[in-house]
Amino acid sequence: MTIRWKLIAVLALVVVGVAALVNRKTVTAAPQATTPVKTKASISTSRAGLSIPDTTLAINSPTPMSQRVVHYDIDAKYDTTKHTIDATEVLTYHNLTGQALDHFPFHLYQNAFQPNATWVRETKMQGSRDTGYEKWDPKQYGSEQIKSFEVVGQGDVTNNIQYVAPDDGNKDDKTVVDVKLRKPIPPNAFVQFKVAFHDQMPETQARSGWKRDFLLGGQWFPKVGVWWHGAWNCHQYHNTTEFFADFGVYDVKLTVPQNEVIGASGVEVSSANNSDGTKTVTYHGDDIHDFAWTVSPRFKVKETTYQSQMGPIKLRFLMQPAHWGQVDRHEKITRETLDRFEKWYGPYPYKTLTVVDPEPDSAAGGMEYPTFITGDTSWFMPDGLHGVELVVEHEFGHQYWYGMVATNEFEDAWMDEGINSYTEVKVLDSILGKSTSMMNLLGATFGEREGQRDEYITVADKDPMAQNAYAYYNYNSYGGITYGKTASVLLTLEGIIGEETMATAMHTYFMKYRFTHPTKEDFLKTIEEVSGKDLRWYFSQAVYGSQVLDYQILSADSYPTNWFEEKKDQKKGKNKDKDNVYQSHVTVGRKGDFVMPIDIEVKFDNGEKVLEHWDGQSRWTRFSYVKKAKVVSAEIDPHHTVRIDRDNFNNSFVVEPNRKPTYKLSTYWLFFTQWVSQAIAWWAI
Amino acid sequence: MKNQGLLRNGFGMVMRNKRYLFWFWLLNLTLAEFATAAFRRSAHAILDHSLYADRLVHGFDAGVLFDLLAKLDVGQMNSMTMPAGYFAFLFFLFTAIFLPGVFAGYASTYRLPREDFFRACGRNLWRFIRIVIIAGIVMGIFAGALFAANGAIVKKATESTNEVLPFGLRITGLATIFLIITTLRIWFDLAEADTVLNDAHAVRKSIASGFRHTFRSVGRLLSSYVLSTLVAAIFLLGGLWIWMKFVAPESIIGAFMIAQITLFLLLIPRFWQRGIAVSYSQQRMLIPVVAMQPAEAIPVAVPPAPVAPAPEPVPAVSGSPSPLEEPH
Repeated sequence: MTIRWKLIAVLALVVVGVAALVNRKTVTAAPQATTPVKTKASISTSRAGLSIPDTTLAINSPTPMSQRVVHYDIDAKYDTTKHTIDATEVLTYHNLTGQALDHFPFHLYQNAFQPNATWVRETKMQGSRDTGYEKWDPKQYGSEQIKSFEVVGQGDVTNNIQYVAPDDGNKDDKTVVDVKLRKPIPPNAFVQFKVAFHDQMPETQARSGWKRDFLLGGQWFPKVGVWWHGAWNCHQYHNTTEFFADFGVYDVKLTVPQNEVIGASGVEVSSANNSDGTKTVTYHGDDIHDFAWTVSPRFKVKETTYQSQMGPIKLRFLMQPAHWGQVDRHEKITRETLDRFEKWYGPYPYKTLTVVDPEPDSAAGGMEYPTFITGDTSWFMPDGLHGVELVVEHEFGHQYWYGMVATNEFEDAWMDEGINSYTEVKVLDSILGKSTSMMNLLGATFGEREGQRDEYITVADKDPMAQNAYAYYNYNSYGGITYGKTASVLLTLEGIIGEETMATAMHTYFMKYRFTHPTKEDFLKTIEEVSGKDLRWYFSQAVYGSQVLDYQILSADSYPTNWFEEKKDQKKGKNKDKDNVYQSHVTVGRKGDFVMPIDIEVKFDNGEKVLEHWDGQSRWTRFSYVKKAKVVSAEIDPHHTVRIDRDNFNNSFVVEPNRKPTYKLSTYWLFFTQWVSQAIAWWAI
Repeated sequence: MKNQGLLRNGFGMVMRNKRYLFWFWLLNLTLAEFATAAFRRSAHAILDHSLYADRLVHGFDAGVLFDLLAKLDVGQMNSMTMPAGYFAFLFFLFTAIFLPGVFAGYASTYRLPREDFFRACGRNLWRFIRIVIIAGIVMGIFAGALFAANGAIVKKATESTNEVLPFGLRITGLATIFLIITTLRIWFDLAEADTVLNDAHAVRKSIASGFRHTFRSVGRLLSSYVLSTLVAAIFLLGGLWIWMKFVAPESIIGAFMIAQITLFLLLIPRFWQRGIAVSYSQQRMLIPVVAMQPAEAIPVAVPPAPVAPAPEPVPAVSGSPSPLEEPH
């Protein structure tokens, strides 16, 4: 017995020793690992021994899925009282740019939350979804301070870093820092940076920061820019922009008090209690381009598994105690969304997905990070209001349109938010119904596709889709165009190339460009290639232009061809409608400057329907008929595939007016007015 | 006097004078018709010939409504809400003008002739305006302070990790504000009743009297008012429930009927409260005047009308001690 235990102890020591050695460079054994984990240090290794790990611990794939450019190894400690993070970051960068690099820009996003930063200036001018900064509150202050910066092999370069403002020249903006190297990094070489930094996290703004005892650690570490199209792409943080980063591997150690419940990107590798009342939890992420985490001592946790096309996914729901009753709603929509995305667009390769229900009344709801999303709900959320479903679906969709198809969110916001809004319509339509996907409550309904269109039509003539995200007229225009217009434009495109073709194009686009940084032309050309159609006429107006589409039925009427005989015939009682031949006219006009071919359906009182087609080039056109029937109605786009028409009411004309809609609305409005009058009189006299 | 007596007497007055309910409902409807005319005109121009508008008839597609409101032809929301606001003010004004007649009618033991109704209105118009202004100032100050305090408490509560706490505190605060403002309303209702019933020239005396009696009988009066407010809430919620449950989405007439029945019923509780005020006033607030008679040495001009039995058929206010007495 004794010898047996000794043997086991020796074996265990050997295993632990080997694991420790391996963990110095790559993360290996983890309880969640179900696929073979590479223990070899890298795909290619520099002469100095630097490399990017080719681990697959966090993905259901035996091989890496992206071209890994970066490896972040971060050791961070969070002070829950001061809301500060002190951390060291070791960043290994693989120079795949094809040229020598002598400087590296880094994002310091937390510096955006300072009174003179560009983010705050723009918010004061344009508004935002969280705060208007009417009054500066010290709690809103955030900062990201580099304590030291070393380039391995080149020494300390802390004094060589300087703040730059490539977008607006704002000298008070410290969200981008440029690091000059003493020696350039040759092509295909590796470079390693060792950075010590200190964060002061703000009270939640832009889905980052603390609220009460909750923290969402988003955009919290110095993050290198992306070499893209022959230049560094590292924009300042704007109030309407999100992020852009290279794929790679993340190994992150988080030290927090032991009572905290943690959630983070990637897979949990280990958790160990420390003697000072803290614990250190280690996470590992593969083929991701950002790392976010959250802590709260009050999260209630549900863990479950989803069997995806590539393997099991551990679903983890971190819920507020008051929302625990909604955990099944969160899980249901997550599962159904995963199902649709995998069927329609492609597989979800990661082993985890963490859904965080953030602190109520925080600005942390509705955010996406790789394998980590935040929902947004409140303690009162009737089943008929689909807020939970909408947010969770949307943020999950970003795992595809941002997470894997990693477009430049600074420059092409429509490619992540917009394409995601389009797929959101498709997915929610299929799960919750076309006309009820947002609301189905007390007899009132509201569909997601209507919601997207409504968001667009209020700002239809303000901006094009294809422009930098920080160049929009204001926050509403940014939202209406990037989300609402893109979704509506793509839904309209379905009508042009066919729903199935569009679905194929979306699948093709995802599979071709996942784990890359595609441009807008990559997306548009994919659609043209798949559909086999030249769609430049459409893209030039809808994507690159701000033209507004508004077609209208100007008139529809009929009169008997023998109108001049009418009186005489009437006296004789011969003038019966059915015997009459009518001259009918339908006039269609183009009110907006967006030119698009359209269909018009004309209905006659004998039941006959005529489908007309108009190229829409001129300002108006007229269709004339001579029939033994009068025109009853005319409707533009009878199949309702054009989602970008600014005015749906003038798309049709019914000859005999139907006053019911007006009467109905008037009845409601009348009731409300009377009730308010009575209420005022109740209290005032 | 017991609570039930107050409620019964007040309700009896409302039921004996149902015509007032009808006229106020008609006034309310007529003014609202004017208030909504601009919206109706715009809506007719846009919706009547559009197939898209049909989605409003069968069910209620909120997206179509949003589309309508977003149309430039309809204009901003305030083009709809402003007229409604003006006409709401007009309704309040007309209520202030005609309310003295209602009080007189409730106090009367017979069906008050039209000319007496309007005489009471005219005679008390300026008095009521003064009471309304004073009531507005007092209630405004109280409401402002209470809502500010409630807001501050709720804001403080948002620092708590208990998400439901701010909501709970807000509801509790609103309930408290409701009770306090209702108490103030009782005070000024009694002052209005006193002004009409005693034909009081000095409004300040009626207000002082109302104040004394409100707090002397706050339990009985407040519970009566709260009960009648609950009845109003039941009418409103019940009406809306029936509307949603039993009225087909495309039935315009059904919707109009149920809406107007609900609004008519909603007038009853407030008139009931006024009936309670009149009943209380008759029972309690007239007594001190009689009681003061022995103190004739005090050179206070006591209006004779409320104390002496009024000769038929002149008085707007009966000196009869029994408000339950059947009309002559």
